[in-house]
Amino acid sequence: MTSPSLRRSGFAVAGTFALLAAASFPAAAQPPGFSKMDLTKPAASGQDAKLRPHATPNTVTPGDKIPVDKVKLPRGFKAEIWSQGHPGARTMVEGAKGTIFMGTRLIGRVYAITNKDGKRETKVLLQGLTQPNGLAFKDGALYVLAINRVLRYDNIEDKLDNPGQPVELTDKFNLPDTIHHNWKYAAFGPDGKLYIQVGANCNVCEINNGTHGQIRRYNPDGTGMEIVARGVRNTVGFDWHPVTGELWFTDNGRDWAGNAGPEDELNRVAKGQEGAFYGFPYCHANGVPDPDVRIPNACRGVVLPAALTGPHSAGLGIRFYTGDMFPARYKNVAFIARRGSWNREQKFGYDVVIARTSGGKARLSPFLTGLLDEGKNEFHGRPTYVHQMKDGSLLVSDEQNGATYRISYQGRTAKKK
Amino acid sequence: MASARRLLRPPVLGLAAAFFFPAAAAAQTPTLAERIEACGACHGVDGNSPMEKIPSLAGQPELFIANQLILMREGVRPVEAMTPFVKDLKDDTVVALARHYAALQPKPSGEAADPALAARGAEIGKTKRCDSCHLPTLAGSAQIPRIGKQRIDYLIHSLKQFRDSPHPGADTIMSGAVAGLSDADLAALAHYAAAR
Repeated sequence: MTSPSLRRSGFAVAGTFALLAAASFPAAAQPPGFSKMDLTKPAASGQDAKLRPHATPNTVTPGDKIPVDKVKLPRGFKAEIWSQGHPGARTMVEGAKGTIFMGTRLIGRVYAITNKDGKRETKVLLQGLTQPNGLAFKDGALYVLAINRVLRYDNIEDKLDNPGQPVELTDKFNLPDTIHHNWKYAAFGPDGKLYIQVGANCNVCEINNGTHGQIRRYNPDGTGMEIVARGVRNTVGFDWHPVTGELWFTDNGRDWAGNAGPEDELNRVAKGQEGAFYGFPYCHANGVPDPDVRIPNACRGVVLPAALTGPHSAGLGIRFYTGDMFPARYKNVAFIARRGSWNREQKFGYDVVIARTSGGKARLSPFLTGLLDEGKNEFHGRPTYVHQMKDGSLLVSDEQNGATYRISYQGRTAKKK
Repeated sequence: MASARRLLRPPVLGLAAAFFFPAAAAAQTPTLAERIEACGACHGVDGNSPMEKIPSLAGQPELFIANQLILMREGVRPVEAMTPFVKDLKDDTVVALARHYAALQPKPSGEAADPALAARGAEIGKTKRCDSCHLPTLAGSAQIPRIGKQRIDYLIHSLKQFRDSPHPGADTIMSGAVAGLSDADLAALAHYAAAR
């Protein structure tokens, strides 16, 4: 573990004012935590070399600029802004007393959103963390995962104004400190274990199967680690089927292998198949051998996806619907937020789709659209995660606009929005 | 392991802020002009830094500057020398400062650029695809900084940090890009970019 002083001075500027003079950066004590083995060959992809990730604003989006009026839903559904003013809105978990905790990436904050007199009140609960995307709630405690750090805030809903010092569980969980593709997703499963992903720390490379490209599960105290899925490039969303109890997870396919894909995936870990191999880096999508990391029989023994979720579409949050507000045909259907493409010339995604599962397969269909203008090749917002509220409505976070939308069902006779 | 408190609350050099904002010592919020004057003491009056290892801000993309100020304010990218200036910055001031520096004209620093090194840096830059994000002009765009006409010593300093720090901040693309390069390679890249 790096010393705090090294970490803090990591970007220090050696000032010339004696008053400000920070010591110049100390000599490297550790090798970089990143793979030198990335085997991407972008020039061979035939894609526009200028493609790059879209910037996420870290400033507040004014209310009249939040594109809720662009949102289109099936008949009978309605979208409204539920909360706003929290830049970087991503993961959402709900506390027992109704607080929505929200994780972010770049801005390093964890928000607490509460209901007060019918309005939402947003607090910056924690700040200065490195990509605290991983949040989970159990027995009154909020678990915060920021790359390899694991912090537990007990009785958090009683101290939202001053969360105090967390219980430090980082050493117990002993997660890799590599950052790339390791903004965490975490959730408690029906077995009471904490499930955590460890992504591949490259676009495409040989990874150590013992440490990276996995979904793991732990006891809540960090003991008893087991590997649940291997060969998983970058999942940042999973949920359990309400009837079968099986784990379903989204997975982001590699970049710089063409505009057409390989497509992203929706996967299932079948009962008794814990520890199965999902193909990275050799085999993608529904059996596409990697063009850069070549081995014979690349897809042999690989669990192929339950559904393809589109080229570069970035399916992140997934939630099986168990509420009573939506019509019965939505029961046990998975809602998947697709944040939208960057490594694709014609933009794709920027929506919420539903996945109807049957055995080990799933069929996708549109649900929330309107945030992508295909003609102009521009997007208005980026749905990242979905959360089912106690009343059966659905919250969708929009990272680009630092807001959440509440999706409710008004009935078929309701005026179409 | 760092304690959560230390990581979440970066240190504050209150004295330094008072030094640069004399008018603000009486607990008044500095005006935008006062803030720009304070920035200029190190980063140059016209945004082109005359000081060793202090980056030039002139012509940096607006979003890049805004992002960095916010990351410093939040403690995600803690820069001790900057802490007193950013700790109370509101979003609208961040955006105003970013807009100001984005509109200024970038100029070469006057450091001696070595053409042979720059040529070698151009070759390395091709393999690392610098122009993919920083654009062929190296002027940057949106969240990606301008590296053209940046100070050589700052570029070397910054590239070394990306290579050597296992926790190089919230973005990992640069760390991946410079992994495995030698000091000489990094110097070549710096001379190449500064000369553009």
